Amino acid sequence: MMTWAAFSSEWTKLKRMTLLLSTFGGLAVAASAFVILLFSQAPAHTVPGPHGGPGGLPSLDVLARPNGLIVGVDRAVMLLGIVAFGIAAAQTASEYSLGTLRQLLVRQPRRVRLLIGKMIAVLVFMVLATAFASVVAFGVANLMASSRGVSTSAWYTGTGFTDLLEALGRMELAVVGYSVLGLVVGQFLRSAVASVIVGFAWMIAVENIVGRILPSASKWFPGVSLSAIAANGNADANVSFDHGLAVAGVYVVVAIGAAAITFSRRDVTA
Amino acid sequence: MTTSQANQTLAVSTAGLTKRFGGRTVVDGVDLAIPRGTVCGFVGPNGAGKTTTIRMLLGLIRPSAGTGTIMGGSLTSPQSYLAKVGALIESPAFYPQLSGRDNLKALAKLGRISSSKIDPALARTGMTARSKDKYRSYSLGMKQRLGIAASLLAGPELLILDEPTNGLDPAGIVEMRGLIRSFADEGITVLVSSHLISEIEQVCDHVVMIRAGKIVHQGPVASLREGQQVDIEAAPENDSDLERLTKVLETAGHTVAQSGSGLTVSVAGDVSGADLNRLAAENGITLRKLSEQSRSLEKAFFELTGTESADVPVGQEMGAIR
Ligand SMILES: Nc1ncnc2c1ncn2[C@@H]1O[C@H](COP(=O)(O)OP(=O)(O)OP(=O)(O)O)[C@@H](O)[C@H]1O
Ligand SMILES: [Mg+2]
Repeated sequence: MMTWAAFSSEWTKLKRMTLLLSTFGGLAVAASAFVILLFSQAPAHTVPGPHGGPGGLPSLDVLARPNGLIVGVDRAVMLLGIVAFGIAAAQTASEYSLGTLRQLLVRQPRRVRLLIGKMIAVLVFMVLATAFASVVAFGVANLMASSRGVSTSAWYTGTGFTDLLEALGRMELAVVGYSVLGLVVGQFLRSAVASVIVGFAWMIAVENIVGRILPSASKWFPGVSLSAIAANGNADANVSFDHGLAVAGVYVVVAIGAAAITFSRRDVTA
Repeated sequence: MTTSQANQTLAVSTAGLTKRFGGRTVVDGVDLAIPRGTVCGFVGPNGAGKTTTIRMLLGLIRPSAGTGTIMGGSLTSPQSYLAKVGALIESPAFYPQLSGRDNLKALAKLGRISSSKIDPALARTGMTARSKDKYRSYSLGMKQRLGIAASLLAGPELLILDEPTNGLDPAGIVEMRGLIRSFADEGITVLVSSHLISEIEQVCDHVVMIRAGKIVHQGPVASLREGQQVDIEAAPENDSDLERLTKVLETAGHTVAQSGSGLTVSVAGDVSGADLNRLAAENGITLRKLSEQSRSLEKAFFELTGTESADVPVGQEMGAIR
């Protein structure tokens, strides 16, 4: 497959030390910090009420359940999404800002192949980084559990493991979605900084504010849909996993199509 | 000559190649005919459309009109010929956090080029010693060398180098000329752009001159030299004779311009210095200075392309506004 050449070329760039450390290390540190916060701030018992503990954090008895960790991890998805979006956007945008795109296109003039190969490489990279961060965070969770006297035995049961893996799978799916949108926005805006600003503005200004004014519109937003995928349904916006998957799927397919069409026609003057 | 014959002798041929950006025509009906195996200089002032033309040849910019054939492949399907082409476009562009070698590796992988081609390309451009350093630590000259190295990876039959002498010191420019000559000796066709013909005239055997998007001259360098007239500098012994001498020469059909205390005569027809001397003597004027000067290519170039840059309106050149 010809896309393989574009994939392995992109991989040569992605595996550079600085990006590897900042993405894999950064995500692992952020996930671990979140787990530490989760355990150190958790109240001993569930407080009656809609959200349980302070700031909606689960209590220690909730954390000790087979699916205890999932309850906590779901809340970190938004952050993960922004990071994935930004890193992905930088990979497409920087080819324009560095001017390297003109070199790439002389070696691979079939532009859609170049784009697809690059996208696959970045997606694999982000999926691996997320998996790595999850494994590290799981280790940290075990340490934190023992320090706060939380029994971890339920985590290591069959259901505990299955739930955890399923949660990881859902999270990876959402990461793929955020990354695709990042790649495409970076490709359109040709600037990593502008892409991240637009991503933030969208999440905060559009999804958040419009979602409050017009709650029924929320379930059609890409961000809400992706978080519904990661969290197995978004209770706040009343979006199910399946609905989120369908809507996000449409966004992803349309985004890839639009990027492929414009990229294959656009004059490269960078 | 039929089209297919032309395609065998020409490395690059285009017909009516045109590019408009918005309403502005930047490249206007360019008909290139660059013979295989030549070093072809592509010269024109800033903004003449050299880079835009080169980008069209490489499939980066879609022409607004016109057709072309490059190394036997049609301009409309760059994938049919780019495997035989190496290019340095505008200025070198690489990933700053990667070493020079890793930058070449990424390009080689993309073009399905064996990684065994990397070392020879680095060696050829004198980059072996610094190839493990990050690109961002390179000097401008080293970046330019790495750009040339990248263009050599594919083992090209056609090399397109856009201003390869940019940022090089005089020694580097001489070295670059030697490198270009060595490519030609291997049978590689080289298209090299510059805004100064003096920088490349020694290595070129063919030249295309472009101004404001249009070709103003195209052909072998030798023919450009041949067609050149000779200028004769002449000065009368007595300054008071200057005006009379001018008249005499003009009456004889020569174009005369005053330069300092003497005259620069663009002679009409096959006239030598001796003829001028005789003419002056017949009119009772003694000459204190008489010298023939063959016009430089640079001058021929400026005559064809004008001295002003196409990018800058007259009166707004650097230094013109105070
Ligand atoms: N993307 C673009 N959009 C609009 N105008 C452009 C674009 N790219 C180039 N131009 C214009 O086209 C003209 C030719 O530019 P080009 O870069 O081809 O010139 P050049 O001969 O390479 O000049 P230089 O010697 O300065 O490199 C210039 O006037 C430039 O402003
Ligand atoms: Mg240029």
